[in-house]
Parts: sequence; structure tokens; C-alpha cells
Amino acid sequence: MTEPIDLTTDSSAAVDPALLAEAKRSLRVDVAQTGFNPALGRRPAIETQAISLNTVLDFVPSWTARRIPVKCIGLTLPEGMEFLPPKTDTTKSTDGVELKKIAPPKQISEDGEEVQKPRKVTRIKPPTDALSLQDRLFYLLQPPLESWLADQELIMPFEPFGYQYEGIAWLFASHSALLADEMGLGKTMQTITAIRLLLRCGQARRIVLICPKPLIPNWQREFKTWAEELPVVTVEGNGTRRKMLWTMPGIPILIANYESMARDIAEIPEDEQPKFDLLVLDEAQRIKNRDSRTAESARSIKRRRSWALTGTPIENRPEELAALFEFMEVIPKAANPDLRQLSKLAKKYILRRTKDLVMKDMPPRIDRDAELELTDAQELAYRTAEKDGIVQLNSMGDSITVQHVFELVLRLKQITNFDPLTGESAKFERLFADMEEIAASGGKAILFSQWTKTIDWMAPKLKEFNPLIYHGGVPTKQREPILAKFKEDPKAHILLMSYGTGAVGLNLQFAGYVFLFDRWWNPAIEDQAINRAHRIGVKNPVIVTRFISKNTIEERIDRVLREKRELSEAILGEGDNNNVSLGMNATEIFGLFDLRARHKGGSKSIGPKPVEPQTDAA
Amino acid sequence: MSGAGKTDQLRLGFMETMEVEGRGHIGGLLITNKNGRPLEFQCTTPVKPNRTQEILFGETLQSWLLGELIGSTLLDRVSIKPDMIITSDPNLLELRNHTSIPVACAADAKSKVAEQGGTLRLGGSLLRFHAGHDTDADALSKQKHLIPDSADLAEPLERVREALAETVRTVFAR
Repeated sequence: MTEPIDLTTDSSAAVDPALLAEAKRSLRVDVAQTGFNPALGRRPAIETQAISLNTVLDFVPSWTARRIPVKCIGLTLPEGMEFLPPKTDTTKSTDGVELKKIAPPKQISEDGEEVQKPRKVTRIKPPTDALSLQDRLFYLLQPPLESWLADQELIMPFEPFGYQYEGIAWLFASHSALLADEMGLGKTMQTITAIRLLLRCGQARRIVLICPKPLIPNWQREFKTWAEELPVVTVEGNGTRRKMLWTMPGIPILIANYESMARDIAEIPEDEQPKFDLLVLDEAQRIKNRDSRTAESARSIKRRRSWALTGTPIENRPEELAALFEFMEVIPKAANPDLRQLSKLAKKYILRRTKDLVMKDMPPRIDRDAELELTDAQELAYRTAEKDGIVQLNSMGDSITVQHVFELVLRLKQITNFDPLTGESAKFERLFADMEEIAASGGKAILFSQWTKTIDWMAPKLKEFNPLIYHGGVPTKQREPILAKFKEDPKAHILLMSYGTGAVGLNLQFAGYVFLFDRWWNPAIEDQAINRAHRIGVKNPVIVTRFISKNTIEERIDRVLREKRELSEAILGEGDNNNVSLGMNATEIFGLFDLRARHKGGSKSIGPKPVEPQTDAA
Repeated sequence: MSGAGKTDQLRLGFMETMEVEGRGHIGGLLITNKNGRPLEFQCTTPVKPNRTQEILFGETLQSWLLGELIGSTLLDRVSIKPDMIITSDPNLLELRNHTSIPVACAADAKSKVAEQGGTLRLGGSLLRFHAGHDTDADALSKQKHLIPDSADLAEPLERVREALAETVRTVFAR
């Protein structure tokens, strides 16, 4: 404590006079002069206290910059498989075919400068059934397909179309998928590219592709074109070798045919059964019968992903779609979804595009029905056979079966092709006339018939057009050279094919004309045949001529098939106006002759199976 | 990884942040190879500064929160360390003061900003570097040949933003 300073005196020598004067001025107190309190007139005494600056105060707010703990969620993406990079020269494919890289058209602005059009990008979307965050992020973090496929590791021989990018992205992200694009839109290329991406990013290491035997060379060739760096092994050879190939690890892509699959898988012991990351069924309508050995075998293969490819998901009955869904493991075993449920599943698991929807600038397919009168000899033979046949069927009473009717149909159809006695043929006369015109202009045509016998009958008569024959009777090894000759030899103007062997998987887009010499039981198969020529890469319109003999069984069959075209649209949606699929059943076959089915089970589909060469008649 | 990828081990990091309403900010870092193929992804849980931090950091709050706090955490957590980090947010350039890895902010290559010290044209983007580390541009220009001119360095940032949005939808929105 210090003594109080008396501000009334000027005796303190230690105080600065100026400071003292200021203190006096600032501390002056004005007091009301009441006269009752003289004490108020006294000057106040003030005490001061010195404080050390080092004194700690009672409350000091303090804050230290601490790091806020931050939690992380991590995702490490799997390493892909290591392959040799593809060749950088993309102008020639491995089979020597000249390839042309498609560049997008350049836009020029008004001032003459090139305008860079913003490129559409296709992002991979996570599948709807991917629930975990990691799974969803995996797909979201993949680069846009366009830049992924354009980088140095994944050279593409052609620029895919926009809808193909979408198809690739959809397949890549699907565990269960049915790619049902119309024939000719590039299902093969989309599948190969999606497989390539799965292998590249470590989502698959072992893949098996099952296809009909005649299509194996086609798949081998397409793999070389679209993903030449991927090792592809075909299951062939004796039983021991096939078993070794099925079970040997380290083969990224295995190709097998349906027969081999059904036979070999059954023979491999349970504990040695191979496991695949992906099983692809090409021409998946082959498993439309759920109880068939082929379908059961396909379902028994252990796999993580199931893809089915077909241009005709429904050939005859909607239930066939259920067989495909069962393979894809999206419905329980032996479940029978109704049309509404099938339609709902189709929206989720089927991707189907038609040429009408996606290839607006593709040259058109021009269909023309050539309705021909039978020649006199054919007419006589036809009417006699029909009359005798119906009399015979009626005389059979209740013992009549669909097979009896079917035999009569076949016989009549054969007569509409040519008269067996005289060889007269209205169809051939028309064909020959058309071929003279086609050959004169350097064009090429493909002819389809149900019968190898018809093909063999007409081949010598078409000698001047250098016909080539491609049907089930031609050994498999000779088939590829025949197709190559048809493509390369300018003098080879016509290729004679059977529906069974030539309808699926072949690329013959250099042929501008297609003749359907006789009608198949199912328009979907006819469409498949036509689309050998009318597919991506076609430069000119394809003219399709269907031969129909007037006032014959062919007209009646055509009418029945036309009337049934709507069911497929109901399930698969609009845009399916030129590829319909319902074949004829037994009741309808009976109806062709105004006969009634005498037995139950009238909905059973009859008719030869189209994709197996051995089912070729004759 | 392909053979090509192994010989050119350039790794790119793409970092973005996003504000989650009421929860703060989250950040994501995607590591890719030179072709943009994803190798690793890390994202943070939301981080929200308290009122004291908001007052005391003042104008530097965003760069501290995004660059130092979120950015450094992400970089610590990735097992594959990138050769450079690209972002679209200038606030994340602050990260460069806490790492030796160059950090660049991507601008459209067509922008009229003249190429100068501290910027580098790479792929389709013009990269701007931290003012205190403008030699980063020179250092990285030696690896410029590894990235094709057609590469769009802004595109992977979109993927990071989408992945962050998906994370918010899936995890934090519950």
C-alpha cells in the first residue's frame, strides 16, 4: 500500500506538474450547493495501487489449434490381368481384312474454323442390385467408356456406335443380363468388349463362352478383331483333353459348344467342377426348354455372372423367357412368372434395341413378297397330294397325330419348291431371272431354303452364277473357306444356305440380295437369316424376296405367323415391329387343313430346330 | 495392370471436397494411372469446424479445413502416393504447404489465362500451382509426355464428385 496523494497541495515534487494539473481538471467534482452538507465541498481523496504486470489473472480463455480427427472410407480397386498390349496398327485385322477407323464428322463454324463438338460420354452406372457402397463406388469411379477404350491399352479397330457404348456399359455392370439386340447390331462386339473390360479391371479372371458349334470360328475371329491381346482357348479334342481344358486354371477365356458343355460338365466330378467369373451363352434360345439336358447343364455351371445373348428371346412361347431368367438366376427354380412379371423382369434384365431405333441412317431393308402361281405340273402334283393327304388324315380318325399332319405339310411345301416328277418350279424361274440381273450388275445374293435337297437340286442349274453351297452337309472345316470365297470371288454371285446352318452368327453384309426360297416355321428365324446380310457395315439397301406360292399351304402358314406377331411386342416393348418370334404349335398345324387337334397338349411346338445342322431335313 | 502401366508408373491424384448440409465438408481423393484408370479411392467423413475455429481462422478457415485438414488426411491415408494432385478448388492448394507432392488447380485449357510461371498446360487443362511453389510446374513438365494431349484432367474430378455424392446418399443421409 502507498500513501494517498493529496491533490490539494502542490508539494509533491515527484509528480509531474503537467500531469497533476490534468488530474485536477479531470477529477473535479461538481456538487450541488445545498448548504446543508458542507462536507461535499471537500476535495475527494483517491487511493491508487500499483499492479505488477507479471500477475496471473484468475480467468484467461485459452485455445490450442488441435487437429480435428477425420475418419476415412477407403476403396482399393482390384488389379486387372496383365496382357500384351494390342498392336498399335489398327488398319489391318489379323485375318488381313482392311479395317477403317471411323472418325466422327468434323463440324465447321461460320468463320471456317473447326468446331470441336462436345463428345458424348458413357458413364458406367452401378447396377440396381449393388447395395454396398464399395460396389457402387467401383462402378462410379470407372472412366467414361469412350476415354477408357481410346487409351493406349485398349485399342479398338472401329469406333463403336453410341448404343454400343451403352450396351457395353450395361453388360459390364450386370451380373445377370440378357442382351437381346436385334441381329446385326453387334452383340458379339459389345460382349467381347465388356469381357475385355472385366478382365482388364480385375472383375473377372476366368470366363467361359458357350455357342453353337458352327459359330466357334466366328467368335474366334471376332475376339482377334476386337481384343486380339486376350488369350482364347477352344474346348475341343478327346474327352481327356476337353476335361483338362475345362478344369485348367489360368485360361482367361474358354469357348465351348453346347454339346461339349452338356457332355463334359456332367462327367467332371463335383469336387473338380470348374468355377467361372462369367458364363456367356450365345444364341441362348438353345436353353429355352428348361428341362433339357443343355439347359440343366448350363445352370449347373458354377459362376458369378450369367449373361445370355440372343436376338430372339422368345421364339415360340413366353415361357421360354422364364427359362432364360432361371439361367440368369433372377427367378427361383421352376418358377412360372406371368406376362406382367415377365415384362417387369424384362425391363430390368433385358437390353434390346432394334435397328429401327438405333440405326436410323442404316440403309433400309426392302422386303418384297413374290407371290407366284405354281406351274401346271406343280399345280397338278400339289392338288393331288393335298386331296389324297386330307382324305388319308380324315380316314385315320382318332389315331391322327400332329406328326401325320406335319408330314403332309412338308410334302406340300416341297412341291411348291419344285415338282418332283418334272422338276418344274415357278420359284426357280423367278429366281433365275432375278439372278441374271443381279450377276449382270456384279451383285451377290444369299438364298435360304429349309431343305438341303432343294439346295442340291438347284445348284447345278445356277452354274453360270458360280453358286456356293453352305449347309449342314458341308463339313465344318470347309465352311469358312466357302464364306471367304463368296466374299472375295467376284464371280461367285450366289450362296445357297440352309436355315439351320446359315441363319445365325455369320457376317455377310456385302450381299445385297436375300432370297427366302421357302418359308421357315418361325419368322424370327427368317429374320435371323435376312440379317446375315442386313447388318452393321452394310452400305446399300438389302432387298429381301420371300417366295410364296399362291393358294397353297405357304399362304396359310404365312397368315398364321403374321397374326401372332403381337405377343412378343407385349413383352419386349415397342420397336419390335420387324422381328417377331412366335412359331406354330400343333393346334395351328391342324388348323391349316381345318382339322382339330385330337389330343391334349396342343400347345407343343413342332417343327425342326433351326440351329442344329443335323435337324436339316433331307 | 497392363504392361504399359507398369513401365510408366505415373500416378495422378484427383481431390475434391463437398459440403454436406448441416454436417460440414467431406473430401475425396482418387488415385489413377496415367490413363485415368482408378487404383484407389479414399473419402472422409464430414468435418465441421466449431464456432471458435470459425472465428479464429477467419478468412483462412476454408483453406485450413479443406487443404490442411481434409487434404492432408486423405493424402496420409492413400497407400498409393500420387505424383501430383489435381483439384478444381483453389482452397485445396493450401495442401501443398503440408506435402512435397505438387498440387495443381485445373482450369479450362481454353481460358485466356496466359501460360506463365506457376502454370502448366497438361492434356486439355491449364494447371495453376501454389504461389509459394511455382517451381512445381517446371518439375512436372518433365513428365508431360506421359499424358496424352487428348486427356481430360477435369473428367476424373467429376467422378470424385459423383462418388462423394453417392457416399453422402448411401452413408451420411441415413
